[in-house]
Amino acid sequence: MIELHHIWKQYQKPYWALSDVTLRIEDGDFCFITGPSGSGKTTLLKTIFREIVPTEGQILVNGVNILKIRDSRIYTLRRTMGIVFQDFRLMFHRTVFENVAVPLQVVGVGRKEIRRRVFNTLQKVNLHQKIWEMPGRLSYGEQQRVAIARAVVNNPEFILADEPTGNLDPELAFEIVTLFKEINRQGATVIIGSHDRELIRHFGDNILFLQKGKIVGKEAH
Amino acid sequence: MLEKLKFFLSATGNNLWQFRTRNLFSVAIICLSFLTVGIFLSLANNLRATARELAANMTIAFYLDKDLSAAGADTLRREIGRPGFAESVRVVSPEEALERFRASFPELADVVAGLQANPFPPAIEMRVNAKASASKEVAAFVEAARARPGVTDVLFNRDWVEKMQGFSRLAGAVGAFLGGILILTSFFIISNVVKLNVFARKNEIEILRFVGGTNLFIRIPFWLEGVTLGLLGSLLSLALLFIVINLFPVYLGSSLGALQQLLRFRYPGLSQAAALLLGGAATGFVGSATSVSKFLKV
Repeated sequence: MIELHHIWKQYQKPYWALSDVTLRIEDGDFCFITGPSGSGKTTLLKTIFREIVPTEGQILVNGVNILKIRDSRIYTLRRTMGIVFQDFRLMFHRTVFENVAVPLQVVGVGRKEIRRRVFNTLQKVNLHQKIWEMPGRLSYGEQQRVAIARAVVNNPEFILADEPTGNLDPELAFEIVTLFKEINRQGATVIIGSHDRELIRHFGDNILFLQKGKIVGKEAH
Repeated sequence: MLEKLKFFLSATGNNLWQFRTRNLFSVAIICLSFLTVGIFLSLANNLRATARELAANMTIAFYLDKDLSAAGADTLRREIGRPGFAESVRVVSPEEALERFRASFPELADVVAGLQANPFPPAIEMRVNAKASASKEVAAFVEAARARPGVTDVLFNRDWVEKMQGFSRLAGAVGAFLGGILILTSFFIISNVVKLNVFARKNEIEILRFVGGTNLFIRIPFWLEGVTLGLLGSLLSLALLFIVINLFPVYLGSSLGALQQLLRFRYPGLSQAAALLLGGAATGFVGSATSVSKFLKV
């Protein structure tokens, strides 16, 4: 479970990127954070995986105040999360296999287990036939699926995706969010920052509306 | 563990290959630095060995009064042979001294034949323990012997040993100074090359942070990169040093004339070669570690 209590974030005076944001995301939720550009979606997501430290407030992940974790121990938090970005953030000089294997190598999983899990994950995102390709030779949709495979390969509790469909055409975007939905069904809590109304209307169970750093609305279906 | 190691090696290999031009440049600089150190080390080795040879063969000649009786000469021989640094002591008669002169300077045979009387005085020759040859104890003993009744002069050729030792120290110091400057340069170059590689790998570093990589996990490939560059540079410098040692006498040695003996290179010992290699690795490691801790905020 993720809880944010009275989160404030200021990059530059007098503007507040986040103003008194309080929210609670239950385990197994499939949640959209939406709002116009500059509303604070990315900042909010970044505070959850502690890329950004809020100016004020408290963030609890599974009851642990993540703002009290020492910088050198942040990896313990990040290992419970899979993060997906709009620009995919792939290593283009490494194969699809190597890209997806990284989270497992980081925690010291054995060679055979890595092969098995990477192959299974790539099968789920329908990329197992491109396992030895270099990411640069894949389409944008395929690259995003590699990024998703990397995010889910170590079965994290939480998936945080920041505009994961921003670079994709509507059809591919639909396909990608379907994939997230499938991952959510298998138990992961998924939080997606997006401004794609069509997608949100179609998939949104829980929707948080942000405007100028404030939560201005919530919808739960 | 094996998978982590595989990842480190593959990341290091990727870094080295992807930025091969700048990496080659830093290997060349490290090589030049350690070659300079190696050349002076090799020269110092030779001078030290020459000094050792001189010291091992060093004798002190105590020239005696021609009128000294045999018993007096024998008493002096026993006294002179008493200190611990005396390896052997023997009396050289004037006849033996003349014979030696004849053997050493056959071209002066006519001069010797024309002599009315044997000009050489009797002498006592002392062979000095090589380890003690440079000690103050020997110098004090020589000075005291000069004042002994029956001793007219003392010949002690320690100057050459001291000169050789001095040259050896000088060669070592020049090598350390020049090498030190160049090694410092290598250190900065490695540091900057790794810095550029850190910047070029920013995206990858960020990915590693997001997937839960520890600081150590992210830093190790960069450390390995520095160590590899340092090791390659120093290994190459050792190879070049062996070429220089082999080719120097062929191309330049004969033109040096009498200096050839002094300017001869000697192969570095195994421990020196290992020290050069370790020095290279250490320079690489410190260079990259400095850069990584400064520019890689994880």
